[in-house]
Amino acid sequence: MSAAKVKMREKKMRNQPPSVQYPFGELSVEGRPHNPADGLASGGGVADGPSDSHPATERLKSSHYRSGWVRGHQRDGGNYAKELPKCISAGGFARARAAEVNAMLKAVSKTTGSCHVFGALPKHMRRRAMSHNTKRLPRRLRDVANRMREKSLQAGSKKKKEQAKSKSRKARRRHGNLLLEFNRRQRKNVWLETHIWHAKRFHMVKKWGYCLGDRPTYKCYRPCYRAMSTHCLLQDLSYYCCIELQGEEDKLLAALSQLTSKEAGPTFAAALCLSGQRQGSVVVYRAGCYPSQPLGSVTFLWRPSTQGSTHRQLWIWAHPTIKQDLLPELQSVCQCCEAVVPPVVPLVIPAESTPIPEPGESPEDKPMPRTKRKQNCKDAGGPPAKKILGDGTRSLTTPVTWRSSSTGIVINDLTMEIVRYRLIGPQSHSVLAETLEAATDCDEVNKSQPSTLWWPEHCKDESKMKLHQLQADIFHILKGIYSTGELPSGTVLGLAVDDPRLTLPTKKVKALPHVQQIQEEEEEKRRELMLRGVPQHCCQSFLWEKSVRDNATDNKISEQDLNRMRSEVLVPGSRLSPTPLQGRVPILLIHQPGKQLGHEMRSWGAGWDLLLPKGWGMAFWVPLVYRGVHIGGLNMSLKHAQNKGTPHFPHDYPDCPAGIRFQEEQEIDLLVKFKRRPPAKRTNYIKHGCLAPFRCPWQQLAEEWELITREGGKERKSATETQTTSNANAVMEEESTSQLDNAVMKPLSHFTVLRDRKSLKLLSGWCRPTTSKGQRLCRARETPPLDSAAMMSFLTKCSMSVVWVRLSLLSKGKPELHAMVCVPFTEDLKLLSNKSDSSCPREPPHRNHFKSRMKRRKKSSKKAAPSSSDKGEGSDLSAPNPNCITSAEDPKSSSESSTDLVVGLWPDPLPSITSHCSRVTLGWVTQGDFFLSAGCGEALGFVSVTGLIHTLLNQPKEHRGIFLLRNPTSLHYRFAKINIEV
Amino acid sequence: IFNNRNPRNTAVEMDPVEYTLRKRLPRKLPKRRNDVYVNMKTDFRAQLARCQKLLEGGGHREICVHGLGLAINRAINIALQLQASSQGALQLAANTSTVELVDDLEPEDPDEAGEPMTRTRNNSAIHIKVFYPDPQ
Repeated sequence: MSAAKVKMREKKMRNQPPSVQYPFGELSVEGRPHNPADGLASGGGVADGPSDSHPATERLKSSHYRSGWVRGHQRDGGNYAKELPKCISAGGFARARAAEVNAMLKAVSKTTGSCHVFGALPKHMRRRAMSHNTKRLPRRLRDVANRMREKSLQAGSKKKKEQAKSKSRKARRRHGNLLLEFNRRQRKNVWLETHIWHAKRFHMVKKWGYCLGDRPTYKCYRPCYRAMSTHCLLQDLSYYCCIELQGEEDKLLAALSQLTSKEAGPTFAAALCLSGQRQGSVVVYRAGCYPSQPLGSVTFLWRPSTQGSTHRQLWIWAHPTIKQDLLPELQSVCQCCEAVVPPVVPLVIPAESTPIPEPGESPEDKPMPRTKRKQNCKDAGGPPAKKILGDGTRSLTTPVTWRSSSTGIVINDLTMEIVRYRLIGPQSHSVLAETLEAATDCDEVNKSQPSTLWWPEHCKDESKMKLHQLQADIFHILKGIYSTGELPSGTVLGLAVDDPRLTLPTKKVKALPHVQQIQEEEEEKRRELMLRGVPQHCCQSFLWEKSVRDNATDNKISEQDLNRMRSEVLVPGSRLSPTPLQGRVPILLIHQPGKQLGHEMRSWGAGWDLLLPKGWGMAFWVPLVYRGVHIGGLNMSLKHAQNKGTPHFPHDYPDCPAGIRFQEEQEIDLLVKFKRRPPAKRTNYIKHGCLAPFRCPWQQLAEEWELITREGGKERKSATETQTTSNANAVMEEESTSQLDNAVMKPLSHFTVLRDRKSLKLLSGWCRPTTSKGQRLCRARETPPLDSAAMMSFLTKCSMSVVWVRLSLLSKGKPELHAMVCVPFTEDLKLLSNKSDSSCPREPPHRNHFKSRMKRRKKSSKKAAPSSSDKGEGSDLSAPNPNCITSAEDPKSSSESSTDLVVGLWPDPLPSITSHCSRVTLGWVTQGDFFLSAGCGEALGFVSVTGLIHTLLNQPKEHRGIFLLRNPTSLHYRFAKINIEV
Repeated sequence: IFNNRNPRNTAVEMDPVEYTLRKRLPRKLPKRRNDVYVNMKTDFRAQLARCQKLLEGGGHREICVHGLGLAINRAINIALQLQASSQGALQLAANTSTVELVDDLEPEDPDEAGEPMTRTRNNSAIHIKVFYPDPQ
């Protein structure tokens, strides 16, 4: 019975008395002797008898027994004569009839909801808009119609009332209510200070406990790239977590040295970084675990030491995803396990004497934001500023300070305390120079009076003012520099600046450098700056001091006050003078080195980081935007890292916990996206010979290559030394069969990413470094020749590791995520000599072994479908999702992979990865794209060190470092030049 | 845009194992529309075509071709080609100069052992003015 019919019937039966069925009244009585339970039970329900109005008698015969309910007038049915009851009790019969009559009367007298009064009118008497204007009805019906109309109006208004439970828009947009709403919305994922600005223009994503802008809603991929390479791109990086360490220098260094290794490059103790002149960057490992168990890359900045004091302050800036791993590690190496309760902060620096706000106010915060707001009002005595509650990486109640009684080191979690903006591009210093102005001195009157603000107090101190003057001079020199890349990388400059809102231009203007012929003296200073960077004492900033930071945050002039002051200026549009005393902000400028790896596009993407005290975010953001910068989101950070050729955190750290987590998330995302397509429209990865299109099984890769070398070593001893690639391939086939027991034989360690600089340099030299498209050889330092002895000694050091490489395609093509890096045959390399694009090797299509199994499964599921009536056709149509199919026809296969047999994907226990395709797999690409900076398709990814060296050894000298790249969705291999950039 | 090369005679004695050499970009000056900086990466013909376009289609009476280091040869070549293809209508005026370049030397063992060094070296540059002489 179709749904509509059922509905109609239900409507008809609505007012029937429960014991009586409207059309089948007689039969119900008649049927009772045969099947009394049936007659009684199926009260108002819809009988499952046939629904056609003129049923064939034959059908009735059969159905009659089952249901007991038959429609229609069947007096003349011969069969029924026999079934008629012998006797009828008069009382029962009359009662049944009475009920029927009652029901009939009720049905007639009561109009159902949908029936309008004019439904009673014959068609020729109906008029247009009758329901709207009751006067068009005949008078006898008007009363009823009026009543109904009122009723319907009431019902409508009631509905509206329910909807309008929330306040009016005006009420909702009222400042306080809006803040409450904002606070509620960022309970789970915290907003940055520029959130609202971003939310209007960006696709926002909820990541790492924050709401972050991913990419703008307008098209600006190329403009953003151009901004990075010629002007300036601005990003909000405030979601990065800052961890502050304070303590004696030697103790800090001793503790931190456990986390890093000199082999992987400069550490926390690097001389220039330690002086506070440069920002450093390191890869942090678990204490004493180098080279295994890395945590991730962090940047760090030492505060320049004051004279004679060994007490140092260090900021470690880390991505929010490693904070949860890094913080416990830091606590353990510093032996800082006592959480400091805020009210009794016995800290060394007086700046800490003000209680840390978050934990203290958290109890009121959480349950009822309303009370909190009121309290704030009382405290501040004015409208509450935008409240930032905790941050995305910790709950409100966790402590933010830990100290150690043995070493005296204090760890402070400064997440969300400092705003960090990143300006990328050669003109970023001109943008800064135009936006910021070194803080103006305050006049004598203010100097004499004691003040609660930090700047007037500082003005009283002669030495501080002298320092400020020096810093301002250096900042002034910045204007005379053409490109940010000319400066020494990682330079730090501390400064105090005026409120940039005061100098906001009325129109957006593009900041350009002002390079003119400058005086001899200036020129000398500029040279000095370019060669030596900022002198040590000028790297000092008051941003390091908590008291100053808090003072600046608390005393920020609100936008409203500022606008009022502007409106009171005598000449409209002129600058406020004198500058209000609150409008001084301590900042820190950190130079970010651009591209340092490789031989071309040097210092591409260099820029400055701007650190501000919290609360000042928007005050600096808008003026920066008004200088004609482009704004980038997370997407652009990734592209920036790609073009620089550096691994981006956490995408390209597969051995770090954060990287592993990221890869798992990415796999789920990609799989969900894949499954959303109908199976016939999906890429069949099995046929493409792609085992793992959504993830990279690095561990398996490293293990397999390890086994191959062992096997190969044995072979070499026994047989001749000749080992061509195809030979190796044959070894591998054989290998894959015996792989399992081998793996059982000796457990292999976890894979690592090779970060030892000496090994990397050696490897880089062996790859025959060239310019990106492989046209020109680059001069490299002398490396020991690559032979089997060198290989063996190298491999003993770094077996089971993968290495970060850059691959540039020699012809057309655009590598994609998780493209495979493969080893070419010697025949393939011959194709390289003829230059046409079509002469690329191809992978023969693979057979889908799972097709038959899939079909069987589908069939069995179809068979199973009719038996379970509730699934019906619907579930059969959606059967491609095999997760819901739980047939037990084939116990072996179902136990093996019934849960994740997805059309087009290889089920879980993967066969040998390296030898699955015709060309041996070396590794995968984690980032591939058409690189605008190189003008060709390039890819960044990891390859197995063992496999790489083996291949290099077997390749002829002129083709050394040429590999094949194949996208997961394609059968074409493309030639690519591998480069390891140190 | 300049192409700079490592001079053979390094002023500072350095051990290649101990230091990594990172060259900074040469100092740039603001660029007019008729300035052409020649490099060794871009195809020669493309650079020549660019100059020709500036002179003929771009409506400039004169252009400046700049070359640094290895690219001096190419700059001269471009200028001469331009002159030859114009049947003597164009004239050349060459100037040479010296450009100061900055190198960063990063020590391999960054702790105590060595401070990162910066050194300057000089490289030659050529600036060729290619112009149509005034009618008189």
